[in-house]
Amino acid sequence: MAYTRKDVSTLTAGERRRFVKAMLEVKRRGEYDEFVRTHIEYYNSDGEDGLRTAHMAPSFLPWHRRFLLDLERALRRVDSSVTVPYWDWTRDRTATSAPWTKDLLGGNGRRSDRQVMTGPFAWATGNWTLKEGVTDAEFLTRDLGRAANPIALPTKSELEGALADPVYDVSPWDSTVTSGFRNKLEGWGSGRGSVAWRNHNRVHRWVGGAMVGGASVNDPVFWLHHAFIDLCWYRWQRRHAGARYQPARPPGPASDQWRRVVARGEKLPPWGVTPEQLEDVSGIYRYA
Amino acid sequence: MVVSVEVAAVGTARSRGSRRPRGGSARVSRRDVLLGLFGPVAVAAAFVPVAAATRSLRAAEPPADIVFDETYRGRRIRGIRTSATSAGRVFDDAQWHVTVDGRPLHLMRRADGTWLSMVDHYRSYGTPLEATRAAVDELGPGRHLREGTEPHMGGDHGVHA
Repeated sequence: MAYTRKDVSTLTAGERRRFVKAMLEVKRRGEYDEFVRTHIEYYNSDGEDGLRTAHMAPSFLPWHRRFLLDLERALRRVDSSVTVPYWDWTRDRTATSAPWTKDLLGGNGRRSDRQVMTGPFAWATGNWTLKEGVTDAEFLTRDLGRAANPIALPTKSELEGALADPVYDVSPWDSTVTSGFRNKLEGWGSGRGSVAWRNHNRVHRWVGGAMVGGASVNDPVFWLHHAFIDLCWYRWQRRHAGARYQPARPPGPASDQWRRVVARGEKLPPWGVTPEQLEDVSGIYRYA
Repeated sequence: MVVSVEVAAVGTARSRGSRRPRGGSARVSRRDVLLGLFGPVAVAAAFVPVAAATRSLRAAEPPADIVFDETYRGRRIRGIRTSATSAGRVFDDAQWHVTVDGRPLHLMRRADGTWLSMVDHYRSYGTPLEATRAAVDELGPGRHLREGTEPHMGGDHGVHA
């Protein structure tokens, strides 16, 4: 029977408490840091050789869908009532709204060193010491809205620009494509300044601190953000009935993208499932 | 201010497409240069993963260019481009090794030729220097890059440019 992922702003006090408790237990067991490592390991950029799976590639969406499912399974081994909530950043847009409350993810980092001082993921609790990271900071950091040079979260109309595109992705299937739902949602733009961050990428930037680096998984908001991205994929599928993951077939040997992207029926590392198998997960969970 | 120093190994051809850095020339080997700059420990930290991961280090040491070396917001940032060869790269064949306060900063290249770093992973910048400065902006006071970050899947630790 499918379980339900909820909007984080609608969770009851009990649901918030159980979600936090399960996260802390997954961290205590050492499983959480494996997720951080996996995300670092699979971030392969498109100006370099090799297969891209998690970013700058069509499999950005199925890769993170499966990644979320793994975390959710770890949480549900601790407490079978827990699911990953989603953060709709087109609605909850301030540094004090959900999910930045003391009983959930805690608030912004302090000004001096961006250390998160409130909530269950503050370093002083002893429950959330960063083990895997880009910097030597052991504490979680945030810079909500980027104080030094403020930016805003993506708006509903900016997200709509991605959702309205009827094609999943286009050749060369990387960060340079200017059409296709996938990159419009993932958010690789060109140019300088704040236009360089769009949708998914911009949210990472807006949260700042750990979330803007390779070890972004260290901030639990990573999962709430990606649950919403995942929900956007589901909404896009419903809106463009019959639209499928692209490419359907792998680029050929003559293509620059040969063996560098995962086609619909190909296995997606590190799991061995195919994007096709991940297109419909309604048997596992649904969104409220 | 960007201080650029050219260093090149004697008798080794320059790589194609590399820019002429400003400043004077010194003819020493890359290894000597790096040892002088960072000391053996830092050189090992910067190069061991590359040597392990790539086929690009040759017996004849290729030229190394210090493309930037400056203090930015109190941090010493250095970018060294080595002209090691490697087949199949999208652009030309040099490799970058960037450090912040002596610690390696992993840079990645986007298909459009721009750069991103491990610290600032969700947008890219026009040059390695810009990407490095942006990483410093994000590091925050008192924090340093962690040594020994996991290498990326299938990728070299150094970045070809």
